[in-house]
Amino acid sequence: MNEGLLSVTPAFLRVWLRNAQVYVALLKFNIIPALVEPMLFIFVFGLGLGSYISDIEGVPYVKFVAAGILGSAAIMQATFECTYGSFFRMKIQNTFEGMISTPISAGEVSLAEILWGATRGFVNSVLVLIALLAIGVIDHWAAVFAPVIMFLAAFNFAAIAILVTSRIAQMEYFRFYFAGFVLPAQFLCGTFFPISRFPEPVQLFAWVIPFTSYIDITRSLMLSRYSWHLLPEAAYALATTLIFTELAVRSMFRRLVT
Amino acid sequence: MVIEAQSLSKRYGDLVAVDSLSFEVGRGRCYGLVGPNGAGKTTTMKMIYCIVRPTSGTLKVFGMDVTDQPRQIKARLGVVPQENNLDPDLTTWQNLMVYARYFGLPRRLARERCLEQLQFMHLSDRADAPVPSLSGGMKRRLILSRALINNPELIILDEPTTGLDPQVRHLIWDRLLELKDRGITLLITTHYMDEAQKLCDDIIIMDEARRIDEGSPPELIRKHVPAFVLELRAGGELRRRILQQFPHLSHQDSGQNLYFYSGAAADFDGLLRAWPGVERVLRPASLEDVFMKLTGREIRA
Repeated sequence: MNEGLLSVTPAFLRVWLRNAQVYVALLKFNIIPALVEPMLFIFVFGLGLGSYISDIEGVPYVKFVAAGILGSAAIMQATFECTYGSFFRMKIQNTFEGMISTPISAGEVSLAEILWGATRGFVNSVLVLIALLAIGVIDHWAAVFAPVIMFLAAFNFAAIAILVTSRIAQMEYFRFYFAGFVLPAQFLCGTFFPISRFPEPVQLFAWVIPFTSYIDITRSLMLSRYSWHLLPEAAYALATTLIFTELAVRSMFRRLVT
Repeated sequence: MVIEAQSLSKRYGDLVAVDSLSFEVGRGRCYGLVGPNGAGKTTTMKMIYCIVRPTSGTLKVFGMDVTDQPRQIKARLGVVPQENNLDPDLTTWQNLMVYARYFGLPRRLARERCLEQLQFMHLSDRADAPVPSLSGGMKRRLILSRALINNPELIILDEPTTGLDPQVRHLIWDRLLELKDRGITLLITTHYMDEAQKLCDDIIIMDEARRIDEGSPPELIRKHVPAFVLELRAGGELRRRILQQFPHLSHQDSGQNLYFYSGAAADFDGLLRAWPGVERVLRPASLEDVFMKLTGREIRA
């Protein structure tokens, strides 16, 4: 029996629909709070701090940091959804066990959860993009594709989060995950300033995290600056996302079907 | 056969949850698994609905192996789990529709089935109620409705009536017997021996991961306990004196109660005459006596 992505059928969309249905039922609790953090980032880093900072890479700081704020909003939302959210559904509400007692497989539940985390990240990045547009930070039409890249970045973080969720016994372990990986990634991957400022080993570490590539691609779109090195970055980002998704699906299968 | 288990075992490291269990369940039968907590009943059920994988042995449901065709098997059965796993953020109706979707039912058919099941379980007027507003009995009935949404051929019920009031228990029993009459196979665990006796055609008694015995409730009673039981409320000194006076009667002793067993009620006459003031019940032997004998204290001669 194949337990990975190849075993997944389109039935996984039914689980995604369940999550979407609950999201809509709880809409007022979902939209507003999720936007507070990115709005603060725009205010603090972009407009506040930004006025003290000279141009970075030839653009005003607020335009440089826009991609980072978009990225942060997307990955944090996906990460929360697929850590605390998924763990709650798995362990507290027994929702997953109910699903896999129907023709839905454990692999389908996992992929649906990852896709759902990515969806929430995407929705957030669209909302933040609209806010950025409103304050006049967006100059190039190609920025409309930024949420698509952010969807993939969110997908990547959702997959890693599901992998972690499938391995932990209690929610408190997420604190290690946030402190050890999510927060460093949020700040070190070229989100708020160029990673060229770091010593070489730290730069290398930053490039290993696919988020760095996703941010670089998004920033290129938003500033309309293209170069050949975006291609290997895209390939690396997509490949690692696929690998983490496969690992997460397999690991969650072993967690759910004992 | 709907279920065929042969030398079925499940181990988690050193822990043996189910040890070499063999049994068969025929179509349209109600089959009971009874035994103390931790006997392996739930694990056995989870192997049947394909969310726990057997360590060894074979298990076929509808003639299909659980490790090869879980999706096809699960499509044809309904599950009432021990723990409530309803979606608390959705309404009664939405809970049913979400499951209808998991089974891939077309929307119109799904609506029909939901209406039908709500009516069957007396929940029609609570269709739009959020789950947290339902009582314990309503939640249980909703879980049962949900288990029927795909018109299953086999329904697996893990302690379906634990903690429910008598009205709801009777409604659920009634519905289960109706389903059985329609030819649906039932597999049930319970700690209530009256429930097992009322619903089950066959019972497996399990203890410590193993099968201890199997048979119909009357068979098990005939085989393991005499036909009549006399219960006396007698502890301490009183208990000692009664036992001294009637050493030949087979008995079981829980500290404050004495249980005497005999094939003929007349055997108790001498005892009843000698101790007229002691609180007593004379009754036919039940499945509970079998259960206590096989999984608890032995009857001493």
